[in-house]
Amino acid sequence: MSYHTVASSGTATVVPRSQGSSWASIVSGQPSRPRISSTTTGLRNQRNGSYANLSDLGSQSGRYYSAALSNAFNTQSKLSQLPVSVPSYLEDSLYAEKLEAARDPSWSSTIPSRTSSYTSVGLHAAQSRGSGLKLDVKDTIQTTEDDLPTPLPTKWNENDKSGGVDVSQDGLNVQFLGPNKVNEYDSASVRADHFIPRSCGVYYFEVTIMNKSREGLISIGFCGADVQLNRLPGWEPNSWGYHGDDGKSFCCSGMGKAYGPQFNSKDVIGCGINFRTNSAFFTRNGHMLGTAFRDIPTDRKLFPAVGMKKPGEHIRVNFGQEEFSFDIDGYIKVERKSALQEISDSQVESLCPPLDEASLIQSLISSYLQHDGFVETANAFAQDLQAEQNALSNKGKPKPLELMEDKDAIRRQNIRSAILEGNIDKALKLTQAYYPEVLLRNEQINFRLRCRKFIEMMRQSAEANNGRKKVPPPASKRRAFDTYEEDEDVDMDSGDTRSDMDMDDATPVTGPTPPDNLDMLTKVLEYGRQLQEDFKGKPELQEEMEEVFSLFAYSDPMVSPMAHLLSEDGRAPVAEALNSAILVSLGKSSKAPLERLVQQTTVLLRELGEEGGPASFVNLHNWIHNMEYLPNS
Amino acid sequence: MSATVSTPAGIMPSSRDWEKKVDDVRPSKADMNTIVMNYLIIGGYPSAAMKFAQEAGLQSEIDLTSIEKRNQICNFIHHGEIKSAIELINDFEPELLQTHPRLHFALLRLQLIELIRASMDDNEIEPALTFAQEYLAPRAPQYPEFLKDLEHTMALLCFPPDQLSPPLAKLLDPDMRKQVATMVNQTILASQEVFPEAKIKSLVRLRAWVEAKAAQSESERLRSIPHMDLGLVAPKGEFPEPTK
Repeated sequence: MSYHTVASSGTATVVPRSQGSSWASIVSGQPSRPRISSTTTGLRNQRNGSYANLSDLGSQSGRYYSAALSNAFNTQSKLSQLPVSVPSYLEDSLYAEKLEAARDPSWSSTIPSRTSSYTSVGLHAAQSRGSGLKLDVKDTIQTTEDDLPTPLPTKWNENDKSGGVDVSQDGLNVQFLGPNKVNEYDSASVRADHFIPRSCGVYYFEVTIMNKSREGLISIGFCGADVQLNRLPGWEPNSWGYHGDDGKSFCCSGMGKAYGPQFNSKDVIGCGINFRTNSAFFTRNGHMLGTAFRDIPTDRKLFPAVGMKKPGEHIRVNFGQEEFSFDIDGYIKVERKSALQEISDSQVESLCPPLDEASLIQSLISSYLQHDGFVETANAFAQDLQAEQNALSNKGKPKPLELMEDKDAIRRQNIRSAILEGNIDKALKLTQAYYPEVLLRNEQINFRLRCRKFIEMMRQSAEANNGRKKVPPPASKRRAFDTYEEDEDVDMDSGDTRSDMDMDDATPVTGPTPPDNLDMLTKVLEYGRQLQEDFKGKPELQEEMEEVFSLFAYSDPMVSPMAHLLSEDGRAPVAEALNSAILVSLGKSSKAPLERLVQQTTVLLRELGEEGGPASFVNLHNWIHNMEYLPNS
Repeated sequence: MSATVSTPAGIMPSSRDWEKKVDDVRPSKADMNTIVMNYLIIGGYPSAAMKFAQEAGLQSEIDLTSIEKRNQICNFIHHGEIKSAIELINDFEPELLQTHPRLHFALLRLQLIELIRASMDDNEIEPALTFAQEYLAPRAPQYPEFLKDLEHTMALLCFPPDQLSPPLAKLLDPDMRKQVATMVNQTILASQEVFPEAKIKSLVRLRAWVEAKAAQSESERLRSIPHMDLGLVAPKGEFPEPTK
């Protein structure tokens, strides 16, 4: 595998060439195509800690507006220092999750799945994915500095070394310069460019002894930011090291303890710090040498460090840019298993007394279904639960089931389905009729709906143009061409909410055949002009609008670089944003308890994971989507 | 230069700050829907799963057979019709009971319990005795715990129903049926190489764990995190009522 170096805001980042294209999309903010197939990426199969590209995880959500987002993102400079990818052993760490969240703030703890099945077999789902339109009602994105993860060590720090060693241009090689450069009693050490974030859970790097002196006086380890660099790591307070001349481990003192073999040329020495157990270990040529240090203080920032003392000594570091010789992935697996076992053994009764686990879960599910207006599912689920309850009660007296007749829920449901089938006009009309203040107060949402309407018109025109449609368009699709102004009467005074459902049949269709294509394009253009006119005073919306309008530039937008905008996947986020806005207008929480639960868990996990405990082994997103490593309880 | 990882003491986030942190997390709807769908499939709620795929616009092909079969089997067990449940299991997964002797025993014992329950109404203990001798007794020597369970169950016959000790009364509790049904459901799922535990279950445990862990932490910042409410309206009765 070859690597190329790309400078971004003054920071050089090494990425595997083979994955450069998706990497580039993160930096440039250019759209990366949503992945439609539900194949698992090869990430999990990569072994031994080689880099897995994070964008493979993150970009599947297909955020087409990431350029606009990152412009608004004032912590850009710090962001540019963050790694674009993590070694595979960190893939499931909290650190990796925070990294993704920082890259794409509209994404939270959780992004659409890379393995998009609900169970490992039996269901093949092309799930509705995130789309370009931002998911939330609120427009501002607030990510504070302290929520950003810190960068990982990537190279030796040219500016944080003793004069006695030379760091190569790529920052990976360190060579002893010779006794004339230092006092004969002095050694020469160097620290890495960044300290190790505890949220990694475990941090690991390897050093190859490229060449050693006769004595092999090389120390590999880690130390605090303030430790003198004219001593070997391990000799000074706040420093720890494994020494190659005598194979001893040194813990903040000149007195070493017998630990492992002496170093030979071409040996690969690995150093790992476990923040869950606050201990450190070393490996040699892929073999574990055992715990070297315990009780490493938890309140220090620790940097990888090497030191040497004799001419001819030369080492090269692998901070994860290449494959490790030790199976660190396997080590992590064992660590994670014990962390997850602890979590899986926890009791949930205190969460929401008096509910036990099963009823808590049932309540979370039914409240989510109701909150988000999945009326029929909510009723079907309630019936299933009722049936179960009746079967279990010996008396067998069936309790009459009260079905959900929440008027608002049914209205919200109708609005949602209209959007999901691409009938934006119907959604707009219903919203106008039942919740007129929602569109007035939420200009963003109004704008999104209108943009979506434009996209639906564009879709239809494109489909008609290249004759993709073998069947006549369903009424709902054709209706994209009714103009917004042509209002039909929505029976808003009638208490009979069922009448909403009949709208489909009641609405006259514009014509028996689709309008010819030129006519269609003209209408799209007209609608676009109107859109431009209506929102021209809003500079913050211009970028999104221009992006949508760029569809005009292609004779066949369906195969253009902007084709992703036309995807049906974009409908669900619009529907969800509108639903949330309606809920807020009704004085209800915009989030269902299940969502609160995920939000709270995310925040608490991040806080806990900062300490480096078991929580740092939980990447909530991967947790939701890949349960295979969870031990059976 | 002092290097501390945690925020310096004194700048402790207020409850409002925590609320804001929580609000700033944007869970993706796709993930929420994944969690719900997974629960409906694993739990075996076929009609809800179908409706949900439609309503949430999930373009998915659900293998309904597995959900429906598991649902039927669990239904039989919930109703106490263990014989029908066993027949259906053998029909659907012919190897399952042979390869899972503990599960088989649990089902047979439940069937015995149901026979004893019936005998309490009509005072006809013959069928229960015959069943125990014919089906359970030969299996009991295989595993010591089977023998214990069998003895325990037979003790039900010796006491009038209103004078049962709590451990014995537990055997007659409907919860016993539910436990066995869950066991059957999970074993079928596992044999189909589906992870048998719903994601939401792990999620709820994770949520409980992080809160407990923060409360026990050495860090003052973590201990200062207020209890976070789920906003769940406590349901009345035994199962969640629809909100009006």
